[in-house]
Amino acid sequence: MTDSVNDDALSVTISDDGAIVVHGDIDIAGGPVLEAAIVRPEQIFPIVIDLEDVFFIDSSGLRSLLSASRRAKASDSHVALRSVGPEVARLLEITGTTGQFVIETSRA
Amino acid sequence: MPELAQLVVAPVEIRVPAVAELSRVLRLAASGVASLAQRTVDDIEDIKIAVSEVLLALIEHGVGGPIVITLSFADETFLITGRTEVVSFDIDHPDLVLCRTVLAGVCADHTINLTDGYVEIVAAIGGGVDG
Repeated sequence: MTDSVNDDALSVTISDDGAIVVHGDIDIAGGPVLEAAIVRPEQIFPIVIDLEDVFFIDSSGLRSLLSASRRAKASDSHVALRSVGPEVARLLEITGTTGQFVIETSRA
Repeated sequence: MPELAQLVVAPVEIRVPAVAELSRVLRLAASGVASLAQRTVDDIEDIKIAVSEVLLALIEHGVGGPIVITLSFADETFLITGRTEVVSFDIDHPDLVLCRTVLAGVCADHTINLTDGYVEIVAAIGGGVDG
């Protein structure tokens, strides 16, 4: 891990391969923390977001992910979601936004 | 001695400032009340999402004043009611459309009412909103 942004409820680290690793709830408080990590000037494409340690997400968190997807598409790239849990998968399904992302891996 | 579920039939009212960091606190409170009301694990997950969406809408579109969240349980329906003061409330705002889509996905029913400068959002898990 090379860098991190912290919040009481959510923290973000950058893995050695450049993936944004999220720990905690992506909600109205955590969304801006994730957003800050995504818009780093040194961000490489495709944007890979590791959700191994995410067990809650709401629509504000989804907005951050969709914002990242739009940013990536503007650079002819995409956002890959890694270790997607059932909570995130369900929200993507409810909102019909699964197709906005490349689902790299899922977890039970 | 009454069953735990009977103890929480009476509404639980929580008044909080419009602070984003309290979202997790309210989810914990709601899941605790839902657990006492003997809701299923799936219902509790839906209740946590619904509470988060209601609070999100009220924080982002309210005037910044206090938010009152009421949790109640009756006739197999867990009701989450959120209320705060607003100047206006555009339910077609893109952020609110996404919020309402999530509420529609996890709730049996939900309503948004604007009256006298206040917006009230009612979300029903496991049943429906009367009226």
